[in-house]
Amino acid sequence: MPLLKAEGVTAGYGDTEILRDVHLEVGEGEIVSLIGPNGAGKSTLMKTVFGLVHPRQGSIRFRDTEIAGRSPYDIVKEGMCYVPQVANVFVQLTVEENLEMGGYLLEERELAGRKEQVYELFPKLRERRRQRAGKMSGGERQMVAIGSALMLEPALLLLDEPSAGLSPKLVDEIFENIRRINATGLAVLMVEQNARKSLEMAERGYVLAGGQNRVEGSGAELLNDPDVARLYLGG
Amino acid sequence: MSMSDEAAAVTRQRRPAERIRAVVQTRAFLLVAVVALFIVLVALAIHQGVGASRLLSLAAWGVMLGGIIGLGSIGLTLVYGVLKFPNFSHGALVTFGAYFTYAFMAWLPESAPLRPLSFGWTFPVALVLSMPLVGLVALAVDRVVYRRLRRQNAHLVLFAMASLAMAFFLRSVIYIVWGPDFHFFFPGRANPALELPFNIRVRADQVFILLLALAIMAGLYVLLERTRIGKAMRATADNPELAQVRGINTERVIAWTWLLGGALAAAGGTMYGLSSQLRPEMGFWLLLPMFAAAIMGGIGNPYGALVGALVIGVTHQVSTAFLDPTYGPAVAFVLMVIVLLVRPQGLFGREGG
Repeated sequence: MPLLKAEGVTAGYGDTEILRDVHLEVGEGEIVSLIGPNGAGKSTLMKTVFGLVHPRQGSIRFRDTEIAGRSPYDIVKEGMCYVPQVANVFVQLTVEENLEMGGYLLEERELAGRKEQVYELFPKLRERRRQRAGKMSGGERQMVAIGSALMLEPALLLLDEPSAGLSPKLVDEIFENIRRINATGLAVLMVEQNARKSLEMAERGYVLAGGQNRVEGSGAELLNDPDVARLYLGG
Repeated sequence: MSMSDEAAAVTRQRRPAERIRAVVQTRAFLLVAVVALFIVLVALAIHQGVGASRLLSLAAWGVMLGGIIGLGSIGLTLVYGVLKFPNFSHGALVTFGAYFTYAFMAWLPESAPLRPLSFGWTFPVALVLSMPLVGLVALAVDRVVYRRLRRQNAHLVLFAMASLAMAFFLRSVIYIVWGPDFHFFFPGRANPALELPFNIRVRADQVFILLLALAIMAGLYVLLERTRIGKAMRATADNPELAQVRGINTERVIAWTWLLGGALAAAGGTMYGLSSQLRPEMGFWLLLPMFAAAIMGGIGNPYGALVGALVIGVTHQVSTAFLDPTYGPAVAFVLMVIVLLVRPQGLFGREGG
């Protein structure tokens, strides 16, 4: 049974329909990469999975529970966390408070232990824990955002363009972190501009264009597919 | 990081006019502007032959007035932070606070005044009853009007207009229930000024108001910084969508924000009523200084609103040394315009925000 299974999802904003009959699956512990040109609907699909956009049609099941139409704060309880592409930290709050908000649903006594685990994963955050997240660099913010999403020990992490706007060195660091997080057994569904890099890491990938599924397969298959390479990986 | 490098490069290449504007928009410049205005006011007062002890008394009253304005503007700024609309009906909550306290006092048995204060134990009890009740009124208005608009994803202008309508509606309720006449918490009871060093003349009631305002602020600080719901309020004000994503039920946070904002407004209104008298328009006239304080402190920032309120309270009172007190609101208005022109994000707002 897949962890996440979306079928026949149609969604959009107002009068505009962005996704049409989209399907997607993520298995336990898998890294799945979602690629495609700008405006393909990748971010909208992430938001729809997470309840920030409600699907007009279709089903989204997480561990066999229907989550389509439910609110994000409710979906979080099922064991799925989401890191938005922009505005993904509380800039006015300190690093530690950001993590506490990530663990908002935890009991007080569980909180300290989880914070400790995130600090072990990202030691830099421990040094900066009293600093406001808004005063941090892009790379550090991304760590705060991912760290907050890990507070609830989710089974699936949704990452929307985790490397956007970062320098090449930091991009490598973020990808390394994603690999480390995945190694602990967490499934990852990510949208990435760095399509080649993310497919190299992913077990499977989906190519989305014009709000519809185009190609899907293992990471290696998509990397070696001449059409995918020409159209979506920049030759 | 690369983006901030670019921004720095642009700064280095700025033209002189832009450089001047960059200096003018700093926090330091705004502070200098406010202090300069204050010095001008004091100089004008001294020029008119106002003595030092009178000025000091006015400043002390100003701090007290600042406490009252601050209690109101905190609710205003919290609601703005979470819901992003200017709540014009907040003044009516202030009025309701004063009148509810008044009604509870009539219902409670009469109590002998605790000298040198002008009131007995019933007054603080009535205040404690009035605060949650106004919080519930604020919550009820949200449930009936604003939540409905939120569900329809209404435009922010519609929220502002609806709140203006609620301001008139709630004021009409005051007129219907209590009538248009002035009321006093304690008609005819004297509250002579205390004998203080430097010949400062302050009444015991005013000292009580200030101490109570400080105690409430301290409680608010603990609530916002140390408790789960307080942190969730700050997080929701910072980024409501992310708050939902992190598992915070933002509707519940909004409900608590209304309860808290209403309760603080009730405290402010009751203290305002104690320092002068109860009028149906009392909250409406406090609206301008409350907004000015919230804007000066950086809208959405409760501590900033308190600092803004103190600046406005003191400036307002000191200006009465040589200006007709009816011009008081103009002082708040001038300060608000200065802030909006110089640094719209306020004293504690984000740089370049």
